[in-house]
Amino acid sequence: MKAGSDLKISVSGVRAIVGKSLTPKLIISFAEAFATWTGGGKIAVAYDSRPSREFVKNGVFAGLLSAGATPIDAGILPIPSFQIFVDSIGAQGGIAITASHNPVKWNALKLIKKGGYYLYSYEAEELFDIYNQERAKRVGLNNNSVKNYPDSFKFHLRKLLKFANIELIKKRKLKVVIDSCNGAGSPFVKSFLEELGCEVRTINTDINKIFPRNPEPVPENLSELSKEVKREKADIGFAQDADADRLAVVDENGNPIGEESTLSLAIQYYLKRKAKTDIVVNLSTTRMIEDIAKEENVRVFRAKVGEINVVEQMIKKGSKIGGEGNGGIIAGDIHFCRDSFTGMVLFLEYLAWSNKKVSELKKGLKEYFMKKTKIELSYIEYTKIFEKLKEEFSDNIEDLSDGIKIGFPEYWFHVRPSNTEPVVRIITESDSEDKSDEIMDMLINKIEKWRRYAE
Amino acid sequence: MSDKIRITTSGIRGKVPEGLNVSIVSDFTSAYATYLEKGDIAVITDGRWSGRMFAHSVISSLSSSGLDTSFLRVLPTPVVQFFLKDRVFDAGISITGGHNNENWNALLLLNRDGSYPDFIEGKEIFNIYHSKDFKKVSWDNLGKIKNIDADIDKYIEKIGSIVNTEEIRKNRFKIVVDSCSSSPVKIMDKFAQYFNINLIHLNDKITGKFPHKPEPSPENSYQTEATVRATSSDIGFLFNSDGSRLSVVDEKGRGLSEEFTLPLVTRAYIKNINSQIITTVATSKIIEIIGEEFNIPVLRTKVGQPAVIHLMRAKNSEIGGEGSGSVCIRELSFGYDSFISLALILQLMAETGKPISDIIKKYDRFIMKKFKKFIPLEKSYKALHNLEKKYGKLNPMTIDGIRVEKKGVWFNIRPSTTEFALRIIIEAEDEQLLENSYAEIEDILEVY
Repeated sequence: MKAGSDLKISVSGVRAIVGKSLTPKLIISFAEAFATWTGGGKIAVAYDSRPSREFVKNGVFAGLLSAGATPIDAGILPIPSFQIFVDSIGAQGGIAITASHNPVKWNALKLIKKGGYYLYSYEAEELFDIYNQERAKRVGLNNNSVKNYPDSFKFHLRKLLKFANIELIKKRKLKVVIDSCNGAGSPFVKSFLEELGCEVRTINTDINKIFPRNPEPVPENLSELSKEVKREKADIGFAQDADADRLAVVDENGNPIGEESTLSLAIQYYLKRKAKTDIVVNLSTTRMIEDIAKEENVRVFRAKVGEINVVEQMIKKGSKIGGEGNGGIIAGDIHFCRDSFTGMVLFLEYLAWSNKKVSELKKGLKEYFMKKTKIELSYIEYTKIFEKLKEEFSDNIEDLSDGIKIGFPEYWFHVRPSNTEPVVRIITESDSEDKSDEIMDMLINKIEKWRRYAE
Repeated sequence: MSDKIRITTSGIRGKVPEGLNVSIVSDFTSAYATYLEKGDIAVITDGRWSGRMFAHSVISSLSSSGLDTSFLRVLPTPVVQFFLKDRVFDAGISITGGHNNENWNALLLLNRDGSYPDFIEGKEIFNIYHSKDFKKVSWDNLGKIKNIDADIDKYIEKIGSIVNTEEIRKNRFKIVVDSCSSSPVKIMDKFAQYFNINLIHLNDKITGKFPHKPEPSPENSYQTEATVRATSSDIGFLFNSDGSRLSVVDEKGRGLSEEFTLPLVTRAYIKNINSQIITTVATSKIIEIIGEEFNIPVLRTKVGQPAVIHLMRAKNSEIGGEGSGSVCIRELSFGYDSFISLALILQLMAETGKPISDIIKKYDRFIMKKFKKFIPLEKSYKALHNLEKKYGKLNPMTIDGIRVEKKGVWFNIRPSTTEFALRIIIEAEDEQLLENSYAEIEDILEVY
């Protein structure tokens, strides 16, 4: 892998910058390859609110029609709603036009297979083979055209309202501020929260406006929401990313509770009130999950990073609750996908049922300090470092399925190559900030040294 | 020579999907967009199935280069050519296979004034197409995409202002029109209403498929012929899929050769013609009967809309056209337009008070035959060279193949642009002259 090109083709699809690598021909050819891979039929298409959606959408339609598929235009839709839509209408697959949490100049085609799931890596390989070898099927005469599907959110909404304990939430009369980043959640989120009986204040829910902030729902992007929560004296603030799969939470004082705590509290409530099942989270997710599991007397399974890997484990282990530490909450009752709406339901019910404030719920979790960084590294360099780490920490290896994860009683770290960039990601967590910094420094030093002297 | 794809200066044409596919369409559009640099581009299709996917490809590619799209959906090419002359849009792309079968399609590029790009512009567009160095813009400069409806009334009113509308209306003609399930469908109802026509409309639904080859000629007019007879209509008309060609069926239900269209329209429009009539080396001599009668010169150029329009412009001509049933009335647009042609033929009937079979009698003096001789490309140029030598004394025209004029007979031999063949057209006053000329040509070409 070499840095430089903005084009990223990975298991989740193809991503690039508009005006650079994201050309109409790339989009068309990729859509042709995908329709060929699915074997034609109905292919759903949805998008987030980025202005480039019209340009990309037309290219996708051209490619799908060329390969003999029937594109179903589901409109602007959150990605979890889209996954449910693909499943509900019995489509052969779906293409979501969204660069998720990436800035507005990016766009991407995210690929969803039949049933509403992301592709496994071996499936993506088959698709890339078709794309790279230009083996896409092109049909001559066929009567296909783009079909519009209005009200495509209804399938998701129906499931959410069935899942939620609306009576419980209503009683607490919660005041909620929601920041949708003018993204795909914008058209739906206000009426959804109102149906749950909340008093709703919205910021950034206009899909015709550009993203007001970096769409990634991490604490540094939540200042506007924090201010609004304080000003409105709201009980809780929610933030979605541009495709509304990830959720961030701000407490009643305007403090972001952090992505790891967001997932942990959602899981904690699920286990207390919804169902007792084992938990699946990815290898980089906080140890709070283990604490919660111990209290609730269930097991934790760790999956490789990536939604589809977590989902695969959940289905295999019969787990109904899980997710990823970046605010991606998965509840199998709705659909096996990361879903900010499901997350909101769980939080609102938790507040209503416990009669506590968000800050109090957060205090109930043991505090950990997570540090993340990335180092630019070629894959060859990475393999050497992987061997060195394996050798040096041989007694404390927790997992080798996705990079290397080392665990000690008081800390852990995870070093893994990125799927999308020529970098390794390093994540570590301990119960003190100093210790986490110390471990991170130690790892960076070791990697830099090994990389320099590695044979 | 490929039998699947043809690139000419006026666009790109191919069999779908072997020759023409969404990727090639994307690149070609990007090349045109890069050439144009900016503007609001009218995009239309002719109704055939493949037009849908190509439209998406065109729109995406225009947007990617920062050009806006006004997507007018299914619409005849001449309607957009009219709007372009009127400066409603900055340029156009018509996705139409014209007279080609439904498994073909093409991208026709329309200039700022509605005409096809000329040779020099076309070459520049190819250079960009081959370089693949297309204009790209950032996310905030992408072209906007609008779905809009064409102001068809305005177009029809303009035609109404050129022709003798009062006379046409008075007659309340009963006419049969075969729109071939393609773009003319979008015009004909309003058109009939405007001109007080009793319209019997065949193949008037856009289904994506064609009921027959979309080429207006007697071969394809059996349905119209039968309907004209059954309904005792005054006349019948056939369109090609983008409304640029027209042929006529007389009141007796006889399909007339498409070669009659240009002369009939010219005769109707004669009072407005002060300069000369422009046509091609492959078009019937009928037009010259009218030219002589009214003392108007007929100039011939290469086959194809770009050459005819180019010469019309250079010579300031009011009218031009070809034997394929195509006529351009400059006052309306720089394109072949079958709707004004249709109106003018009705005007001719109204003004003369004669049935169409009577009107054409005067012009029905020739017989024409078209042949194809399959010869490899390199040999066909040699054959042409020898023909030029052989007929040198007769001062043949050599702007497009060779056109030889003899007493009572003429012929044009030119290489096909779609096959490894020479196209031979002979027109003569009688069968014998025609046969003799054919035998002569056969003799010369036999060695190849």
